[in-house]
Amino acid sequence: MKRRKFIQLGSALAGYGLLATSCSNHTKRKIAGEIIGASSQTGHLLRDKQFETPPISEQKEVVIVGGGISGLSAARWLHRNGQTDFLLLDLEKHTGGNASSGTNAVSAYPWGAHYIPIPNNDLPEYTDFLTECNVITGRDEKGLPVYNEYHLCSDPQERLFINGNWQDGLIPQYGLSPEEKSEVKRFLQQMQTFREAKGNDGKDAFAIPVDSSSNDPLYTSLDNITMAAWLQQENYHSKYVQWYANYCTRDDFGTRSDVISAWTGIHYFAARKGNGANAKHDDVLTWPQGNGWLAEQLSSPLQPYIRTNALAVKIIPGDKQATVVYYDINTHTLKAVAAKQCILATPQFINNRLLDNKVRTALVDAHLHYAPWMVANLTVSQLKERDGAPLSWDNVLYESFGLGYVDATHQQLQQLKPKRVLTYYLPLSTNTPKEERLAAYKRSHEDWINILLGDLKKVHPDIEEKIERADVMVWGHAMAQPLPGLMHGDTRRRLQESINNQIHFAHTDLAGISIFEEAFYQGIGAAKKVIGS
Amino acid sequence: MEQKKSNEQWLLLTAVFIIATCGLIYELVAGTLASYVLGDSVTQFSTIIGVYLFSMGVGSFLSKYFNKHLLTWFIQIELLVGLIGGFSSIILFLTFPVAASFRLILYAVVFFTGMLVGLEIPILMRILKDKVEFKDLVSKVFTFDYIGALLASLIFPLLLVPYLGLMRTSLFFGIMNVLVGMYLLQKFKTEIVRNTALKVAAVLFLLAELVAFVLSDKIMHFSESLVFNDPIIYSTSTPYQRIAITRNKKELKLFLNGNLQFSSFDEYRYHEALVHPPMLAAHNPKKILVMGGGDGLAVREILKYPSVESVTLVDLDAAMTKLFSTQPVLLNINHSSFLNPKVKIYNQDAFIWLRNNHDVYDCAIIDFPDPSNFSIGKLYSYSFYQLLGRALSPNGTAVIQSTSPYVAPKSFWCVDETLKAAGFVTVPYHNYVPSFGEWGYIMAMKQPGYQAPDSFPAGMRFINKETMQQMLNFPEDMKTHQKLAINRLNNQSLVEYFEQEWGNYLDQ
Ligand SMILES: Cc1cc2nc3c(=O)[nH]c(=O)nc-3n(C[C@H](O)[C@H](O)[C@H](O)COP(=O)(O)OP(=O)(O)OC[C@H]3O[C@@H](n4cnc5c(N)ncnc54)[C@H](O)[C@@H]3O)c2cc1C
Repeated sequence: MKRRKFIQLGSALAGYGLLATSCSNHTKRKIAGEIIGASSQTGHLLRDKQFETPPISEQKEVVIVGGGISGLSAARWLHRNGQTDFLLLDLEKHTGGNASSGTNAVSAYPWGAHYIPIPNNDLPEYTDFLTECNVITGRDEKGLPVYNEYHLCSDPQERLFINGNWQDGLIPQYGLSPEEKSEVKRFLQQMQTFREAKGNDGKDAFAIPVDSSSNDPLYTSLDNITMAAWLQQENYHSKYVQWYANYCTRDDFGTRSDVISAWTGIHYFAARKGNGANAKHDDVLTWPQGNGWLAEQLSSPLQPYIRTNALAVKIIPGDKQATVVYYDINTHTLKAVAAKQCILATPQFINNRLLDNKVRTALVDAHLHYAPWMVANLTVSQLKERDGAPLSWDNVLYESFGLGYVDATHQQLQQLKPKRVLTYYLPLSTNTPKEERLAAYKRSHEDWINILLGDLKKVHPDIEEKIERADVMVWGHAMAQPLPGLMHGDTRRRLQESINNQIHFAHTDLAGISIFEEAFYQGIGAAKKVIGS
Repeated sequence: MEQKKSNEQWLLLTAVFIIATCGLIYELVAGTLASYVLGDSVTQFSTIIGVYLFSMGVGSFLSKYFNKHLLTWFIQIELLVGLIGGFSSIILFLTFPVAASFRLILYAVVFFTGMLVGLEIPILMRILKDKVEFKDLVSKVFTFDYIGALLASLIFPLLLVPYLGLMRTSLFFGIMNVLVGMYLLQKFKTEIVRNTALKVAAVLFLLAELVAFVLSDKIMHFSESLVFNDPIIYSTSTPYQRIAITRNKKELKLFLNGNLQFSSFDEYRYHEALVHPPMLAAHNPKKILVMGGGDGLAVREILKYPSVESVTLVDLDAAMTKLFSTQPVLLNINHSSFLNPKVKIYNQDAFIWLRNNHDVYDCAIIDFPDPSNFSIGKLYSYSFYQLLGRALSPNGTAVIQSTSPYVAPKSFWCVDETLKAAGFVTVPYHNYVPSFGEWGYIMAMKQPGYQAPDSFPAGMRFINKETMQQMLNFPEDMKTHQKLAINRLNNQSLVEYFEQEWGNYLDQ
């Protein structure tokens, strides 16, 4: 085979890397572990079953359905504002949703969200919350927040395995020609320009929460094309720039750059403007259990109001009050709660099943597509290392189908870590979400292990022998894909409208961007509506 | 018949000669090794010679209990001498780590070889008494014995140690002993009981020693000539680091992961400078904290202050503190400081320990390895120094070993900046330690107005009022005028400065 041909074939295979590796690679020994996520079965009850409405057994001012960050943030806001007659239902054993976490003898570790960037300084509610939980320890003489050093991601933060070597940082540098380097630089400069840009309405072109961004068509028109098309249009030809942009969109949105909206793709780079006394906008805050730590901060004062193992199955709007029917997984019984106000902090594809609402269902089916993800937590002993930068918090492989892994033990302070927990992230973005989801549900634990070993063996040749345990989580509907038209079209606005001034919505899929801050403000927004009505 | 007898006589006398040579060689090997390992060669040699001679006497005494099968006994003893003597140096090298019992093992080995040699001569004389006239016998046996001893004492320093090394010398003579035994077995096979069993044993012994001979070459070559200039007298890998101790005529050195920690030759310069300024600045400190310093040398200096009530030492590596609490040669250097009842040792991670600590100390000696990687860099961070501040009494003083301000001025002053940012008033100083070069320390305290002390404890070899004044003065080539970043967990600026500066320095 000619070398060129071989390379072409190689890159074609890279796209189908999952398939290729899962077929060709077979583990020599069985690695202990399991596929976590029994609740997806509970969740499927919702899809497959019809439920009666039992007699009302409880009366509440407010019921919140969903204990992810959006729901917890809504509960926190209600509580802060004196509401004590409310209930929060979640189907899982623990609240946290996509920010949930696990723990073993070595470390706590995330099952989903694992970090937040330094917050923008114009988000007082958010920085208040971070001050409450001592992530911000004070203000310096200029009024800039001082971040708790134990929560700031320790150095070394990131490394990229590229051209046979681990380089410092994720922006490709090692082995690039001067032309390629200057293209990378041009890209970063353009992102900086976007970061500072303001629209003709005086608002930031790219802001958090997204809904406070400018409506200037100069920028909103970027929502009509894909990120890849925009790169083409702006004459970015270097494969390194293209890879980097694609890596970033898959990392934050589980979506490839050739399908995601350019506005959202750019938002990833341009919306972070935070500045602290001891941190900048590109620094991040993280914990062994990832955003599970933040979820705990939110939920622990709210424990009396939280009811877990409670699967909401039906929400019936009414004249004076809504009825929330839920299935108590502990007792296998259906229960009904009457609530004057209700917040649905659940994703819209779930709400389709909870509410009998044809208009919403049609909108959701047409515009919201949910990317599936796989996350694995690997307990490993000391791994062989390739040349270059040392083990970091985030460890990414150039041109891999995965996103690399995060070292959950990174924030542990001790000098010596004989064992670590590595959290491996894989957005299933090669084919359509539906195809990927079906394929994902069919894979066995061993299949997943083969897939991730095929990826990680490149950088840790001995990883197979060094894994002591590997648990796998499959997120069938991890996050809504911000495809062109979602951010600045009409869909999100219509889906955010409350029903009867009685049923309100809060979820990151309504923001279109799945990040902690959006969830946090989604919750506050819905809580304010409850308080206002 | 007469001819045969005379042949046998010469054969047995050659055996005496070889036994005598071997016996003395084993004794010399043990003596040399003991002085390598334990130091003080006069003591080692005289005690070993004493034990050896005494044990030969014991052997002679015991020989009267051997009445039957004298030739068989002779050969059995010969083989046993070959085995024990041959492996003696390996046994001693390997058992040095099992510190407490090392002397016991040393003298046991010397005693057994001595006793066996002591048994052999009288038994041999009794074998030969039927074959040689008594007057003749005594003179011949002792002549060969003393010639053997002379030969041994000449070839040992001139040929054996330089060309074979200790391990192979003892193995070589062990092999000789076994070969003599085998030859005699063959020669006198009709007179020997259990001939076959003895032959099998002899062959096994021979093989074992040959294998060890071949391997010893490899091991010694690898460890001695590749890594260190001086012979390694002890080395081990703990979960945390590789510890190696080397010794030459002048000094004993400790290496952690191949980096020199101290040389017994000039460590007093380092430890006097590290410990006395902060101890005096703290004014009669009672509670002392030491972090790192698992060699007990800083504690040795601390214990010179009668005001000290307790010393808490936190060092990650239990193997290290155990070594320095049990090895005679190391106890010699640290004056058994870890055995002092005032000293309490915690083998824990320093950062974690300090974070959980709620006690307050009057003086803290922070003696960590240089910040050459991210996991050690944390121990020089702003967050660490904040915790240190919490652990220090209002009038307390801490000191931080802060690498070389000459080689790495940015690193040194970065530690200074970081301490200041954490709220300390700092007093940087430096001195010259031949093994390290120009070295730096920074005192950190909560109150301004430091006054250098007028007097130091008695018996200082380096520090005094005048040297202290010099140490506080920094010439231009140990300064930097660059604005330095505070070392934080999330930037680890110090590790970067350190890599840069030491990298450049070592590249030159
Ligand atoms: C793999 C992965 C990695 C991520 N990494 C990051 C990151 O590093 N940083 C970041 O900021 N964001 C990250 N995110 C995005 C993350 O989704 C958001 O930050 C945020 O946690 C979403 O919160 P939410 O409340 O909007 O949604 P969800 O977390 O989806 O919350 C929905 C909740 O509703 C519950 N629920 C669903 N159906 C029912 C029902 N019928 N009855 C009762 N309860 C129900 C669920 O159990 C869940 O708790 C990541 C997401 C994933 C999937």
